[in-house]
Amino acid sequence: MKLAIGVFFLPVLLLADQTGTSLGTSAVVARGDKLFAQGCAVGYCHGSAGTAARSPRLRGRTFEKDYLVKVIRDGIPNTAMPAWGDRLTDDDIVALVAYIQSLATATPEGPAPSEIASLAPPVAVKDSDLSPDVRRGRELFYDPQRLQRCSNCHRVQGIGTPVGPDLAKLSRAQLAAEAVNALKYGRPRRVQGIVTKDGDRFPAILIERGPSETRIYDLKAIPPVQRNLPTTEIQSIQQPSGWRHSQAVQSYATDGVYTYNSY
Amino acid sequence: MTRLIHLLLFIGAALVAQDGSTKGNWPQYGGQNSAWRYSALDQVDASNVGQLAAAWVFQTGDNDGGLQSTPLVIDGVMYVSTSHNRVFALDAVTGKRLWSYIYELPKTFTTFYGPWNRGVAISEGRLIMGTLDNYVVALDAKTGRQLWKVNVEDANQCGCNITAAPLIVRGKVIVGVTGGDSAHRGYLNAFDLKTGRHLWRFWTIPGPGEKGHETWHGDSWKFGGGATWMTGSFDASLGLVYWAVGNPAADFYGGNRKGDNLYTDSIVALDVETGKLKWHFQQVPHDVWDWDAAYEIVLVDLPRKVLINVSKGGYTYVLDRTNGEFITAWPVAKNINWIKGVGPKGELLGRNEPVVGKPKLICPSIGGGRSWNHGAWSPKAGLFFTTGIEWCEEVTAQAEIPSEGKTFFGGTFKLVPTPDKKSGGHLGAYEPLTGKVVWKYEYKYPLLASVLATAGNLIFTGDAEGDFFALDARSGKKLWSFNTGSGHRGSSISYAVNGRQYIATPSGWGSAVAGLMQQFWPETEQFPNGSAVFVFALPEQKR
Repeated sequence: MKLAIGVFFLPVLLLADQTGTSLGTSAVVARGDKLFAQGCAVGYCHGSAGTAARSPRLRGRTFEKDYLVKVIRDGIPNTAMPAWGDRLTDDDIVALVAYIQSLATATPEGPAPSEIASLAPPVAVKDSDLSPDVRRGRELFYDPQRLQRCSNCHRVQGIGTPVGPDLAKLSRAQLAAEAVNALKYGRPRRVQGIVTKDGDRFPAILIERGPSETRIYDLKAIPPVQRNLPTTEIQSIQQPSGWRHSQAVQSYATDGVYTYNSY
Repeated sequence: MTRLIHLLLFIGAALVAQDGSTKGNWPQYGGQNSAWRYSALDQVDASNVGQLAAAWVFQTGDNDGGLQSTPLVIDGVMYVSTSHNRVFALDAVTGKRLWSYIYELPKTFTTFYGPWNRGVAISEGRLIMGTLDNYVVALDAKTGRQLWKVNVEDANQCGCNITAAPLIVRGKVIVGVTGGDSAHRGYLNAFDLKTGRHLWRFWTIPGPGEKGHETWHGDSWKFGGGATWMTGSFDASLGLVYWAVGNPAADFYGGNRKGDNLYTDSIVALDVETGKLKWHFQQVPHDVWDWDAAYEIVLVDLPRKVLINVSKGGYTYVLDRTNGEFITAWPVAKNINWIKGVGPKGELLGRNEPVVGKPKLICPSIGGGRSWNHGAWSPKAGLFFTTGIEWCEEVTAQAEIPSEGKTFFGGTFKLVPTPDKKSGGHLGAYEPLTGKVVWKYEYKYPLLASVLATAGNLIFTGDAEGDFFALDARSGKKLWSFNTGSGHRGSSISYAVNGRQYIATPSGWGSAVAGLMQQFWPETEQFPNGSAVFVFALPEQKR
């Protein structure tokens, strides 16, 4: 979730005011240098001072500032370049752009702050904006230390596997009324019992039943498996399956369920 | 009586040394489960290899990240995987495409560890591949039709994915994960070959209450790396799966993870049925150099049942694979200064650690005294063949706060010349128990392709400038060479169809370490990417 707020340039201007234009420019570049060392020069990324690694060389090359801001903020999809918009503040990005542009000629001076300040990257919501219950609920929902976790079957805010219902579509009231009950006792109607001709019985969600192939989510083990079975291999599909939601989330204690509900 | 004979035959077979050689087929990533990368075919030998000629070439059409995989060949069909999880089934005699599979990747996600794929596994007619977005998929090997697909962990959350070939043993798909340079807790998973159902998970970092958890300070275990980013091995007679566990995160800074950091930089032996730990051997306690123990584990009977593993720090470890007992460790690179040596019990002598905020010369570089590209064991020569790299770096450590799934390196580095000003690569023939060098082939750049050994007394590999070549296994003398037009980062194989032996190699420059080379050898920035399989054989009348 990102909010576009256009007040980001304030810190840069303040910095310039306090230190004078030329010193301010150097300070911005120096800050970018430090940020670059922490996030961009590391490991197999852009190399120390942009000297290249798996990711492209930045030293001795010229980039448009708008392009740099966009790439730093949003990343490049389907490449190793991640989006930094949720980890860096706006003036961090400004400083990085100044530093990377300074690598073009490898001189200590970067572009003037006023020039950089015409850019407007968005500001991300920070963890600290959430209440403790909501934060704990979110941790439980996605908890990577559990083999059984909600995000195995539900995707919320772009994370998780979309096997079960999209919880974001449920209203707050619906969640409050049903979620705890469903988690503890519920036998979702979508889950059916499949028996194959070789005698395997398992709970499953039917995705599509075609004349030659039947696509299902097999819920016998967690995480669920998307399987494409020849339709002729299926002996029967029974409803209901007897599968309970609690089977998939045994690892959560009751208080966890309540906390999850807050999320 | 018949039963008794059967029993005696069974015991006899169990006593015979493990045969890890391949013949007509190249059925597994490492050749066989013991990862020898040795073909028993000898039609092409030192006397006739000079006549080797191209039989066919297959262009995959996607050269992003080069071509890093090991093709498999089963009953005249070659299976090759490429960057972005594409799989092609080819007629192994003609190169004709039989089917292709293009995995549907999400439109927007970040592949920090990618885009390459290093291989697939095939068993019982099922082809298994790990994906860039951290799924495991199964295809019908006859048609390429998708059979099942399961998500291991959300790639956008964990910052991890799968680039290595799985290992299939006893109906189980055992598959590792990347993420060792991210704030992530590593693991190894087993799935049922037929259904895709999850069977077991081995966490490479023990959780609260588990033995070894005390080797991690505070919450550092949650973000401690320990990736399983290459493919393991299996000893059927012991029922043990061997896997090499990668570096702890952050790579260069250990201040917030005080302790030995088990089981990072370790060889672990797991019960194949349960995934439970049988034994472990940690090569580098509390690693602060990024010295994965990630690479191949070669199972050899000398006759003692040993395993050979080259570590990224530049030492080759030889362990007793029945119990993990340390036997010896010897260097594959000359330029090693992070320790003074390895003691008689495998302990590190004289650690030279990076410091915060100040550059320090460390050899080898982060690219390793060897990269992941695999070595080969020839039972005929009684030698282990592996590449090695001479290069150094200046590391500056820095304290970092982990953020789940985000990169977590703890420092920066810059490649610098070796003290003797002789940076470059080599391929050597080594006696496994002594590390004695029988011969060494030198090259001006790091050699980043795997090694193939054959019963024809030949050693095949490729270099950065595109030469694919054969050396005499006994002398290291170059006998044959063919330029494929792009550098080599994959793994060559040998197979036979209708009595004719073929040598196949992926060609295609790319990868993280190839990118790193630009820092020190700027001209390599211009080396062209590629992605093709080249197949060679002797002309029909010559064989």
